[in-house]
Amino acid sequence: MGVADYFKPVETMTAEDVRAFIGKKKPDEYNLVDVRQPKEYERGHLPGARLIPVNDIPDRHKELDLNKPTIAY
Amino acid sequence: MRSRAAASMLATLGFTNVSSMEGGINAWEGLRAAGPPETGMAHFPDGASPEVLLALAWLLEEGSRRFYAELSGSVDDKEAQKLFGDLATAEKHHEESLANLYTKLSGKEAKADFHRALIPNGTSEDIMEGGMSVTEGLSWAKGKGVRDVLELAISLEANAYDLYIKMDRNMGENAKARDVFSMLMLEEKQHLSRLASLLDRKL
Repeated sequence: MGVADYFKPVETMTAEDVRAFIGKKKPDEYNLVDVRQPKEYERGHLPGARLIPVNDIPDRHKELDLNKPTIAY
Repeated sequence: MRSRAAASMLATLGFTNVSSMEGGINAWEGLRAAGPPETGMAHFPDGASPEVLLALAWLLEEGSRRFYAELSGSVDDKEAQKLFGDLATAEKHHEESLANLYTKLSGKEAKADFHRALIPNGTSEDIMEGGMSVTEGLSWAKGKGVRDVLELAISLEANAYDLYIKMDRNMGENAKARDVFSMLMLEEKQHLSRLASLLDRKL
């Protein structure tokens, strides 16, 4: 067992993948989560993205349906 | 980079289909940004013994402590210097908590290098929370602005929180271990809040 076993990467999508994905789905079929800080969100965010800064996830993840595909950025 | 830590955390919390969008908002807007070194985000194996998990966690805390100690000396921003100094001290305390727990669980003394006998062969010691190499992290941070460095630190702490949730689960009904991991989880969450609120002020 090498160090690679402990550090598996998470799934990633390119911006183009995300664009195609949200283009073909209804907004209530997925969670699109902006995990940056509020000021960054205010300056610009993806259409329909919900703001939950990464530090708030421990307390606020229940606002999201965990069975829906979820994209964080 | 925060999104990978966030995605990992969501997966741990029970989300079954989670992805992180590469390159963030810059990529969305067609811009390219130089990201930090690749991090895998720490996923500890299920079924490893508590002693092995403690040794690995100790190693990550030690890497993070070295990282913050260096950063607190190299970053220009006064508030960030103070915060990174505090975090280096906190990681030292975490190491002590992990070493004490090792002694309680194994009945053996936790010497300064107790982790070496436990971690799997070939595990690099140049590693910190988030699975990033300390050397690469520091070299990336060199010359970067305070915001970039804070973003990196947020990713590391988010991953540390995630790690302790997983370790807590691995400890089953062991009350001593669970007390320690609950405390560590709470502290990592507090670190995350302090970093996020400083980043908010610097934006």
